[in-house]
Amino acid sequence: MGKQEVGRTVSRREIIKLAGTAAAFCTSFGFLHGSQVGGAVQDKHLQQDKHITQHKWERAEIKWYSGNALLHSSAIPAKVAKHLESDVNATVEVKLFRSGQMLRNLGTIQGKH
Amino acid sequence: MAGPHEILGMSRLLGIGTTEFLAKYTDNGGTTLRFGEEDGRCVFVTESACRVHPRRPLVCRLYPLGRATDGTGEERFARFPKQEGCEAEYGTDGTIADFLAAQGVAPYLEWSLRYGEVYRRMLGLLDRIGVEGRVETEDGGEAGAAGSHPVSDRDPLSSWQDIDASLSAYCAAKGIAVPAGIDEAIDLHLAAMQEWLDGLEARMGAAPEGSEGEEKT
Repeated sequence: MGKQEVGRTVSRREIIKLAGTAAAFCTSFGFLHGSQVGGAVQDKHLQQDKHITQHKWERAEIKWYSGNALLHSSAIPAKVAKHLESDVNATVEVKLFRSGQMLRNLGTIQGKH
Repeated sequence: MAGPHEILGMSRLLGIGTTEFLAKYTDNGGTTLRFGEEDGRCVFVTESACRVHPRRPLVCRLYPLGRATDGTGEERFARFPKQEGCEAEYGTDGTIADFLAAQGVAPYLEWSLRYGEVYRRMLGLLDRIGVEGRVETEDGGEAGAAGSHPVSDRDPLSSWQDIDASLSAYCAAKGIAVPAGIDEAIDLHLAAMQEWLDGLEARMGAAPEGSEGEEKT
């Protein structure tokens, strides 16, 4: 759907104020805008470590340990990490298979929690 | 995270105005409480207590829970690990409902819902503004709607975040008294914002049929 052109009586200053207020509410309330679902609003109240909240992910890794010894490390593909970072419903499940049959689900990780 | 209504409550507890509170105790455009650069602690956390505990924000009341709602309003809760140095009780006894009641979150959730309605209206209006659209500037010229002006990280993103200042201006224009009580001030703040959005909507004209973001639930 195309955007309509704003009426000439709405000033640039008002539009900036509108955008600034929406941005402030987005952050201070934790509102998210699901633009694909008709303007549905989510709100999230997640107390997180300040270090985490102030920095976007650059890289996510899966690490295998034996006790404290690191055996192997593998990066999660960037597009998957981005999905985990941005989607509250995104999860990673670690499952063990043999001959195409799942033997065990080791657990689910939620990227946003 | 700290909404304008929470900033109002904390500022009243400290005996200062919201303008002073925003300048002294918030960062990120007035949207979060300030944390110490060296110790990483909230500016209100002392060795023994939280200085604004009776008026602490919702996110602090919920901890160690995290709360998220989907587009239908359905709630989900997550539990965070106990943070090092946290002396609060931390366990799995009891129910989430009991915990929320004990923390007094009900009015904060209600306020969050009401501000969410305002936010949804703002998104609806912004959705009608083409980012590439040509809009009138103050001097009669034209510029992209996405234009911005530099602001300090510590300046509020919007004057509406400062309830004392915005209500002072609103009440002066209306010739009415500024409400003294916190609840009344929040009610008027919400009403003033709705009125502001009414004016913008009226000037933008009728929404095109089926436009996104206009739906109210």
